[in-house]
Amino acid sequence: MKKILLATALCATLINLHADETTDTEIKKVRPGASADYVGASLLPVEKRTFSQSQYIPDVSLVLDVSYVNRDYDPDEVAHLEIPGIAEGILGSHSHDGNTEATYNANEGFNLNYAELVLSSSVDPYFAMQGVFHFSENGVEIEEAYFTSTALEHGLRFKGGKFNSNFGYLNQQHQHTWDFADMPLVYQSFFGMHGINEIGAQLQWTAPTPFYLMAGIEVLQGNNEQMFGNATIEDEATGVAIAEGATPPSLYVGYLKSSFDVGDTTFLGGISYAYGDSRVNHIEENGDGHAFSGTSKVYGADFLVKHYFDSYSSLKWQSEYLYRDMDGTEFDVTGGGATITPESRTNKQAGFYSQLVYMYNSNWGAGVRYDGFTKNDVVIGGANENEPTNMNKYTAMIEYHTSEFARFRLQYNRNNALYTEADEGGQQQHIDTIIFEANIAIGAHAAHSF
Amino acid sequence: MKKFLYLLLLPLSLFAELTVAVTYPYIGALTKTIGGEYVDIETLAKGNWDPHFVVPRPSLITKTRNADALIMNGGQLEIGWLPPLINRAGNSKVMPGAKSFLNLSHNVKLINKPLSVDRSGGDVHPDGNPHFHLDPNYILVLAGKIKDFLSSLDSEHKQEFEKNYTVFAKSWNKKLIEWNEKMADKKGRKIIQFHDNLAYFNKAYGLVNIATIEPLPGIPPSSRHTLSLLKIIEDEKPCCILHDVYHSTKTAEYLHDKTGIEIILMPHDIGALDDIEDLSSLFDYLTGAIK
Repeated sequence: MKKILLATALCATLINLHADETTDTEIKKVRPGASADYVGASLLPVEKRTFSQSQYIPDVSLVLDVSYVNRDYDPDEVAHLEIPGIAEGILGSHSHDGNTEATYNANEGFNLNYAELVLSSSVDPYFAMQGVFHFSENGVEIEEAYFTSTALEHGLRFKGGKFNSNFGYLNQQHQHTWDFADMPLVYQSFFGMHGINEIGAQLQWTAPTPFYLMAGIEVLQGNNEQMFGNATIEDEATGVAIAEGATPPSLYVGYLKSSFDVGDTTFLGGISYAYGDSRVNHIEENGDGHAFSGTSKVYGADFLVKHYFDSYSSLKWQSEYLYRDMDGTEFDVTGGGATITPESRTNKQAGFYSQLVYMYNSNWGAGVRYDGFTKNDVVIGGANENEPTNMNKYTAMIEYHTSEFARFRLQYNRNNALYTEADEGGQQQHIDTIIFEANIAIGAHAAHSF
Repeated sequence: MKKFLYLLLLPLSLFAELTVAVTYPYIGALTKTIGGEYVDIETLAKGNWDPHFVVPRPSLITKTRNADALIMNGGQLEIGWLPPLINRAGNSKVMPGAKSFLNLSHNVKLINKPLSVDRSGGDVHPDGNPHFHLDPNYILVLAGKIKDFLSSLDSEHKQEFEKNYTVFAKSWNKKLIEWNEKMADKKGRKIIQFHDNLAYFNKAYGLVNIATIEPLPGIPPSSRHTLSLLKIIEDEKPCCILHDVYHSTKTAEYLHDKTGIEIILMPHDIGALDDIEDLSSLFDYLTGAIK
């Protein structure tokens, strides 16, 4: 009862207040010269707010990526498929340790891939800072958070924090700047869906040459989701340490890129190299599984030709080739962790993608991509496992931009790279997927890098 | 190997004292006029392309990296392409705020500044219309600013810059009178554009822009809007469509077919059309375009 009375009183007060406000405005109307103090509360203009810092708000933007996916494959089974000898479970979502990790467009039906919040601003005369956060139903991920130098001379730039490595061409790009909704197989299976995304330091140097020449080195922590790692491998079921960890930072990346123009055509090429420790743990909760400990090298070559017909129309041919050489020990764990069999293992594997994208005008674009593997030599204990290489994917897409800030894309792909697990027959699967993706951005105008 | 390196570096060291990167050709022409032999110009954007959409190709990073100074148009015209170049150049001399960085828009009063901005109104320029160089009266203001800028960077040649400016101002003032005479009887003419590129030119000579072919800034033509243009043309009888060189003239041609309205290509910068080789030929052309 008391509550009701209170509420009524409150309402009455509010109504009263509101009435007061009306009177004030009326008075103002009647007496245009009435002093400002007399008028009800109004926001002071920014320049008059004594301690206001709103002028210093960084550039903010939000990029939403949602998709509708139709895949002709059992959604429960798709996450268990593997690329034999190269990667396990690269489609769908996976749960472990109470966390769920999903690739982009993981689920049949609707997907909220992310809402990406980007904040950026100058720090002081010497640095700028940028943060890129992915909000999704699985939580918040720091995609990137780094500072870059702005005051270095001689073409030097330093970057520190968490960032996408500049290895290759595609690796540095965020998902929403990709020409297709998914990654090429070789990138995703070697590095995972985030690519080489690490905490570390980067130094890049642009040479004082008349054409573009850039060299960069990176020292990175080395916690890649697929390939690089430095944590001690432990069988969680038994608590037995199987392979000792390495001391981080344990991943080193270097690259050289060059570019020149011939008329309205730009050529860009690069070579990249990554070297680091690998600790890959595939031991299941029941104590069984396998693990790898060793060192890995990746060699990359990228090549891009882009021709401009005018300001809005272009044809782009983009290709990359990656080769990796992993050398170490494979631990086969059986009997609930009771038996651990170490054997030497080397992976010499290579893959590529090549894509052609045509922008007809500022509204319409279309593209095709072919990607796959050319080498898959896995040698365990001196014996070649004879893993397959006839794994590939065909992709085609068409996209429509209503403006610079909204893009709708229809993509089809046929994936011939996934196999059922060895103990379930090891059969090659052919998966057709249709993805309708909407990518919408608000806020600060994103500048496009090449 | 060493010889090869020297060969690479040679072209940079041989010539001018001051390498000035400029975003658009008109800025390059002005800077060269004032700076003469003491400056070397690197122009980032091409004159026949949309100034809003310049591709930040890697070769432009190199030009920005090797520059001793940078002069930009400003007014958010370069917002979509210049930041990544500056960001990757590793050159503190081209950073906003450096004394060798000049934003020309800070020296003119921008018109058509929107009272409120929202992207539902298209990709509007929040600071106002940035195409101010198309008012030939502003060219002198900009030249004066560039003269001060160059003098502050290379005080040794201050007198040459002053002299070049005086010579330029004298000939430009003559030209202004000539253009005023040419355009005197065009005052009050109604025109249609694709995008309001010519706002300052129109203001200078009293032309009245009554509509644009794009429904909103940065939004491509729509059939509904094009139909409404037919009615506007019928009702208001504009003299012509003053069309930029980089957008497709498809919609304009449709309007021409339906109403007979004349389409005139209007270059916005040096190099936009083949015979636009310098600033005075740009305005000679613009002031002679409407018959």
